[in-house]
Amino acid sequence: MTTAPGGTNNFKVVLLGEGCVGKTSLLLRYIEDKFNDKHLTTLQATFLNKRLNIKGKRINLSIWDTAGQEKFHALGPIYYRNSNGAILVYDITDEDSFGKVKNWVKELKKMLGSDIVLIIAGNKVDLEHERTVPLEEAESYANMVGAKHYYTSAKLNQGVEELFLDLTREMLEKYEQNSQTEVNRTSQVLVVDDETPVQSSCCSGTKSN
Amino acid sequence: MNEEALLARASEERERIFQRYERGRDNLVGQIDPWEDPEFEEYHKTDRYGFIHDERLPQRTAPQKVNIEVEREKKWVKMLAHWDTPETKQKLHRRIYKGIPNSLRINTWCKLLQVNRIKFENPGKYQDMLKLGKLWSTDVRQIDSDVNRQFREHQFYRERYSEKQCALFNVLCAYSIYNSEVGYCQGMSGLAGVLLMYMDEEDAFWALAILLSDKRYAMHGLFIEGFPKLTRFLEHHDKILTKFMPKLKHHFDKFGLDAILYSLKWFFVCFVERVPFSLCLRVWDIYLLDGERVITAMAYTILKLHKKAIMKLNDMDLIVNYIQVKLHKDFGYDDDIVIYHLEKSMEELRRAKLDYPGPPPPNELPQRMLGVFVEPDKKSKIGQRAENFSETEKQTRANVILRREKAALELQELRVSQSDTVSVLPPVVV
Repeated sequence: MTTAPGGTNNFKVVLLGEGCVGKTSLLLRYIEDKFNDKHLTTLQATFLNKRLNIKGKRINLSIWDTAGQEKFHALGPIYYRNSNGAILVYDITDEDSFGKVKNWVKELKKMLGSDIVLIIAGNKVDLEHERTVPLEEAESYANMVGAKHYYTSAKLNQGVEELFLDLTREMLEKYEQNSQTEVNRTSQVLVVDDETPVQSSCCSGTKSN
Repeated sequence: MNEEALLARASEERERIFQRYERGRDNLVGQIDPWEDPEFEEYHKTDRYGFIHDERLPQRTAPQKVNIEVEREKKWVKMLAHWDTPETKQKLHRRIYKGIPNSLRINTWCKLLQVNRIKFENPGKYQDMLKLGKLWSTDVRQIDSDVNRQFREHQFYRERYSEKQCALFNVLCAYSIYNSEVGYCQGMSGLAGVLLMYMDEEDAFWALAILLSDKRYAMHGLFIEGFPKLTRFLEHHDKILTKFMPKLKHHFDKFGLDAILYSLKWFFVCFVERVPFSLCLRVWDIYLLDGERVITAMAYTILKLHKKAIMKLNDMDLIVNYIQVKLHKDFGYDDDIVIYHLEKSMEELRRAKLDYPGPPPPNELPQRMLGVFVEPDKKSKIGQRAENFSETEKQTRANVILRREKAALELQELRVSQSDTVSVLPPVVV
């Protein structure tokens, strides 16, 4: 996380999850409000930017999308290093992909401790009738590990905006808490904010692209 | 669900996916979700009143270049007719570096890869593998998902379940059986996708097989568990940077930018979607002739040509965006000039004995016989993922972490040594 001149907060977010669970679709839905139009393969992690405004703070998210195939998970540390937030995506019709989320949680907790905000996303709720991951199980697991749980459908555009917005809020909170401790410790002010007053809802900032 | 039910479900899914490709686009009218096709931007040039708007691409190929290509074609036709002669051998290098005429790429690539030889040595093999793939491949779901994304802006792949999409699916499914150690690995859709732009299905299958297992290309080691060849080539790449462009290396390290983040596709798919397609083809021409050295030298060339611009970017995202996206859209140099520099880089690296990271160690080569069917275990049949990393993966993981730690340490040492030199000067007030 860096603070650019002018008080823009840069947060790095990484999307992780098994192949075919819809990571890229979620990202494209959020950034461009499109579903699968670009048809990108994500062999190599790529990122997209989104600017938004929360509580009068200018935020720039760079959201990194990663290759989902299991083989690539060994490269994980390269992608989640220095991330402020992680979205762990599973497919509600694929219980194994939920198992993979648990693995990611374990790994991230071990490597980054509580420095990172975790969000779990059960994607493809448009296929509710094919659900195999029980609702309660997913939610209680998320609760247990201190992650928020969301249901999303990139296809129907459900839950996507909320997910990213809440994640950003949480990252901002965590950052402000940390910099508060920082201020007490070193009496340095990190955020210089000359922005207009509170903008509590979302996205009055410029949309990228 | 018990094991049997899970097995049945997995096999139903495979069957369902396969069937759609077998039927193809023409027989799936009304059964393809609109989102599966990209919007047909090619028609957007006609407005709602029927006026056609001029949206021609900017004329990049100058008329004299077209003439040159026509002249070259004549020479190439002659050369292709006398392939196995000393004269061809003598001319081949120079002519390939000038670029294979696009209309003759298919013949030339097949000859360079000796596709016909392996095809005739293995009659009926491709069809067998494809049949087995339909029955057993455990990679169908990932392949299906990647076929649905690969080169969708290309006319061959634009339409869901088009002929070439079906061919791409078949080649990858058949290969996942042919080479049971690799199966399918993301990235291979890019390789096969390019091959299929020029070859028919069976030729593309064999060309892919050669790219993976022939020692000149040895891509097998890139796609197996733990990516051992990637690790080895990245280390070599870092070595080249440290020697020839230490400032750039330092710049990358300062922003915590690991080479994996910008170069994965360089190594995995030979620059597909990382440089403009016309340039990518030129690099492929040379790669098929000269093999692995070309990748190493091209990676160096790209950074050398863009060093100045990259040094001005003071943020990891900006650098990655420049190398991954900007250079794909517009490389900023004429293809011929890039190839000229590529050849120079190869020479420069050769003199420094850094042109080649060395032959593949045994763990990067196929251990099992290719083309021999191995029945997948229950876990992979069901599609269950591993709970834990394997030993090889743990090694890879430890390796990527180590790379970063090493870079951070070097950076620190550099800072310490710089502050040593600075300390004789009056202290700088910030």
